[in-house]
Amino acid sequence: MYLLAIDWIFIIEKLVLIAAIVTLSMVVAMYATYGERKVAAFIQDRIGPNRAGPFGLLQPLADGGKLFFKEEIIPLASSKFLFILGPLLAMVTALLTSAVIPWGASMNIGNRTVPLQVADVNIGILYVFGVVSLGVYGIMLGGWASNNKFSLLAAIRGASQMVSYELAMGLSLIAVLMLTGSLQMSVIVGEQYNAVWNIAYQPIGFIIFFICALAETNRTPFDLPEAENELNFGYHQEYSSMKLGFYLFAEYINMFISGVIMATLYFGGYDIPFVNEASLAQHIGENWVALLTFLTLMVKALFFVFVFMWIRWTIPRFRFDQLMHLGWKRLIPLALLNMVITAVVILWLKK
Amino acid sequence: MNITQLLFWLLTVIAIGSALMIVTSKNPVYSVLGLIVTFFAISGHYILMNAQFLAIVNIIVYAGAIMVLFLFVIMLMNLSRATETLKNKWLQIVGAIAGSCLFLVLIAALKNTEIKKNLVEMGTGDIGLVKSLGRELFTTFVVPFEISSVLFLSAMIGAVVIGKKE
Amino acid sequence: MNAVLLSGLLGVVMMFASFLFRTKAPVRILAILGMAVLLVANVLDTKGIHFFHVNTTGFLSFTGYALFFNTIVIACTLIFFLISSKDMQKVGNHYAEYFALIFFILTGIFLVTAFTNLLILFIGIEIISIPLYILTGSAKKDLKSNEAALKYFLMGAFSTGVMLMGIALIYGATGTFDITKMNIAGLLKSNLLTAGMLMLLFSMCFKVSIAPFHFWTPDVYDGAPNVFTSFMATIVKVGIFVGFLHLFYTAFDAIALQWKIWMAVLAALTLLVGNITAVFQQSVKRMLAYSSISQAGFMLFALVAMNETAHEGLLLYAIAYCLATIGVFGIISKMTDYSFDGFNGLAGHQPLVALCVAIFMLSLAGIPLSAGFLAKFYMLKAVIQAGGYMWLVIFGVLMAAVSAYYYFRVIQAMYFKEGPNHFSGISAFEKCVLVGICVLIVFTGLFPNIIFGWMYF
Repeated sequence: MYLLAIDWIFIIEKLVLIAAIVTLSMVVAMYATYGERKVAAFIQDRIGPNRAGPFGLLQPLADGGKLFFKEEIIPLASSKFLFILGPLLAMVTALLTSAVIPWGASMNIGNRTVPLQVADVNIGILYVFGVVSLGVYGIMLGGWASNNKFSLLAAIRGASQMVSYELAMGLSLIAVLMLTGSLQMSVIVGEQYNAVWNIAYQPIGFIIFFICALAETNRTPFDLPEAENELNFGYHQEYSSMKLGFYLFAEYINMFISGVIMATLYFGGYDIPFVNEASLAQHIGENWVALLTFLTLMVKALFFVFVFMWIRWTIPRFRFDQLMHLGWKRLIPLALLNMVITAVVILWLKK
Repeated sequence: MNITQLLFWLLTVIAIGSALMIVTSKNPVYSVLGLIVTFFAISGHYILMNAQFLAIVNIIVYAGAIMVLFLFVIMLMNLSRATETLKNKWLQIVGAIAGSCLFLVLIAALKNTEIKKNLVEMGTGDIGLVKSLGRELFTTFVVPFEISSVLFLSAMIGAVVIGKKE
Repeated sequence: MNAVLLSGLLGVVMMFASFLFRTKAPVRILAILGMAVLLVANVLDTKGIHFFHVNTTGFLSFTGYALFFNTIVIACTLIFFLISSKDMQKVGNHYAEYFALIFFILTGIFLVTAFTNLLILFIGIEIISIPLYILTGSAKKDLKSNEAALKYFLMGAFSTGVMLMGIALIYGATGTFDITKMNIAGLLKSNLLTAGMLMLLFSMCFKVSIAPFHFWTPDVYDGAPNVFTSFMATIVKVGIFVGFLHLFYTAFDAIALQWKIWMAVLAALTLLVGNITAVFQQSVKRMLAYSSISQAGFMLFALVAMNETAHEGLLLYAIAYCLATIGVFGIISKMTDYSFDGFNGLAGHQPLVALCVAIFMLSLAGIPLSAGFLAKFYMLKAVIQAGGYMWLVIFGVLMAAVSAYYYFRVIQAMYFKEGPNHFSGISAFEKCVLVGICVLIVFTGLFPNIIFGWMYF
C-alpha cells in the first residue's frame, strides 16, 4: 500500500494509536474529576458524588452534559478570536504531550511490530518541554482576552509561575539525561527496563521534578492563577459552557500526562517491577505482555494523579512571593547542585 | 513533487504569511501570535533538514519563553489600537524604500544560490541530532561555546544592575 | 590568551566583591589592582610567557599587533580607573558590578582584536555591546540615561541582527566562518558575498558610529553617565575599530577594489557630519560626542589605506584619542555645568586643570608636538602611501582645521573669559594622574619611535 511514496499502513497504525491515546487521556481526565471529588470526600470524611449511577460513576457524564448545554457567553469587549483560542490552546497543548511517551512494550500484529509510541523522536523529552512551555499561552491569551482585571492578573501569575518552574524542572531533568545519555524516551525507559529505576539514583531530582510538575499543572499548593479568594475565579472567570470545561479538562489531562512522564522518567516507565518481561512473553505471548506493561504504566501514573489530589486536599496555597522564592531561590540552586553532583559522580565512576 | 517538498512549500507559505501578519497587524497581541507561528514554521523547516534539536530549542526558547515575556509586556502596558503614534508619512515612505532596497539586495544575493539542488534533507544526515551537535560543540566549537558564557554572565549582571531597587 | 581569561575571571571576582565588601574603597582598589595585574599578564603574554595553555582550535590568534593593542587598551582602562573610578560612585549603588561589566567588555575587546573566526567576532561584539547598554542606563533615576539606554539597545540589537545576516550570507558564499580560509578572490562576482560583506560593513560602521549610521551616538553619549561615556567613546570604540580593520584586512583584502571607494566616501561623510555638527553644539559633552564621530572618520582612513602605516597609525590614534578624551571626561565629570559657558574662567580658578584641558584639546585638534598630531599625520600618510585617494587627504586636512575651531572654543572659554567656578574640586592624586596623561600625550607626540620600537620588540 504505497501511494504518494507514503506507507499507508504505517499512517493508519499511527492514527489508530493517536486516537486511542487521545481517547484514553480524555477518559482518564473525565474520571479524574470524579476521583478528585471522591478523594476530597474521603479526606474530608464525606461520601462524595453518589447519585448518578452506581457509586456516582456517571457523574462525569452528567457534568459534561451540563457544561455542553450551558449558555455560552463571550464578553462583548473582548477579543473574540483570542477568547476562543485560549481554551483551545490549553486543550491542544495538554494532549500533544502524549505523542512521545512509550505506553507499553511493542505489540505484534500480523507480523508487524507495532511500538506503543506515536513518535520515538531523537529529542523525546525536549519535545515534552517544548509543548509544556507552550501551555502558558492558553492561560495568558484566555486571561487577557477576557478583558477583566482579575483574569489578566491571574494569567500573568500563571505565566510567570510556569516560566519560573520550567527552569528548575529542566535542570532536575538534566541529571536524568546524564544518567541515560539520551533524550529519547524509549531509551530512557530501556535503560530502566529490568534494571534499577532512576528514582534510586535521583531522589532529589525526582522531588524537584514533582514539585515543578505541581506548579506546571497549576495544582495546589501552586494554584495561584485560580485563587478564588484573591482573584474571584482566576483566568477562566469570564468563561462558561464547554470553553470553561476545556480549561478544567486540560488541567486534569496535564495531571495525568505529568504522572505518566514522572513514571517514565523515574519509575521505569512501563516496566513491571520484579518481573522479567522477556521470559513472560514466551509464556503468554507478546501482545499480552504489552497490555500488562501498559496497565503497569497506568497504575503508576494514576498513583501520581492520586498523590496530586491528596496534596490538593491537605496543603494550603502558597502566597505569590513565597512561590517565587521557592522556585528561584530554593529549587533552582538545589537542582543545579543535584546536577553538578550527578555529573561528578558519573565522571568519577567512569574513571 | 513528493510529500517533503509539499511540506516545505506549505511551511514556507505559513512562515511568510505569519511574518507579514506581524508587520501588518494593528493589534500587538496578534503580532506576537504571528511571530510565534513564524517560529513554528521555521522549526518545521529545521525538522525537514533533520535538525531536530535546533527545531525544538527554537520552540522552547523563543516561542516558549521569550514570546511569553513579549506578551507580558504588551498585556501589562495594555497596548492597543488607540496608542499607535507613528504617523509621519515621510518616515513611512523612506522606510518602505529602504526596506525594498534591502529586499532587492537579498533577492540579488540569493538568486543564483544552489537552491535547485537540495530543497530538504528529510531523515538523512545526522548532523542536526543531539549527539553530533553536542560533540561538535564540545570539540571543534568549544572556544566560542565557552566564551559565550561570559556573554551570559554579563547579561545576568546587567539584569541585576537594571532590575534591582536602588 | 592570558588577558582574555584573566579579564573574564576578574569580572567574576568583581561580581563577588559586591557582597564581600561593605564599603566602596576596597572595591575600587581591587579593581585597580586587577587591572594592573591584567596589564602585567598581557605584557608577559607579549613576551611569550603564557599562563594558560589553551588550544583555541583555530578560533583566535594573538598576533603581536593584537597583543600590543590590548596592552594599550588595558593601560588606558587603568588610567580611566585611576581618574574616574571615584566618579562612578555617583552613578548608582552597583559599584562593583560596574567594574565587573567593564572587565567583561575588555574580554570582548580582546576577542575582537584577535578573532580568526566570524563566530568569535559576533560573540566579542555582543560581549562588548550588552554590558554597554546596561552601563548607559545605569543612572536609573535619570530619564535621559534611560532613554539613551533604550535607544542604544534597540539600534544596537538591530545592527547586530544585520551583522548576523551578513555573516550568514558570507557563510553561504564561502562555506566557512574562518576568515583566513575564505579564499575570497575566487568569488569576486558572488552576489551573496557582496551582500554579506556590505551587511557586515554596515553593522561594524554602526558600532563605531560612522556617518550614515551615527544617529545614536550623540544621544547615547550625551545621556549616559559621564564616566561611562568616557569609556565607551574611547576604549570601546578603538577596540572595535581594530577588529574592523582586522576583519577587512584579513578577510576582504582580495576584493578591496570593490569596497575601498565606499570606505573613502564613508570616511569623508563622517568627517563632514561630525565636524560640522560639532561646531554648533553648546554643551562640551555633546561636542565631544560629535567630535568622537569625526575622530572615527579619521580612524576609518586606516581602512581606506590598509597598509603597515595604517596599522601603526591606528595604534597611535588609539593612544592619542583615548588619553585625551579620557582626560577631558575625567574633568567634565567633576564639573557641574557641561556647557561651553561652564568652562568660562577655569584658568583663573584651577590653572593646572585648565592647562591639562588645553593640552587634551590641542591633542584632539591635532596640533604639532602632541600625540594627536602624529596620529592624524600617520593616518594621512597611510592614505597617501596607498595612493589614489588624494582628495580624501585634502578633505581630511580641511576638516581637521574645522575641528580646531570647536576645540579652541573650550580653550578660549577657559583662558579669555570670566565666569563663576563650576568645578567641584579634585584630589591631589587625580591631579597627578591628569598631569601624567598630559606627559604621556606630549611624550608620544615627541618620541613615537619608542612606542613602535616596543611594539616590534
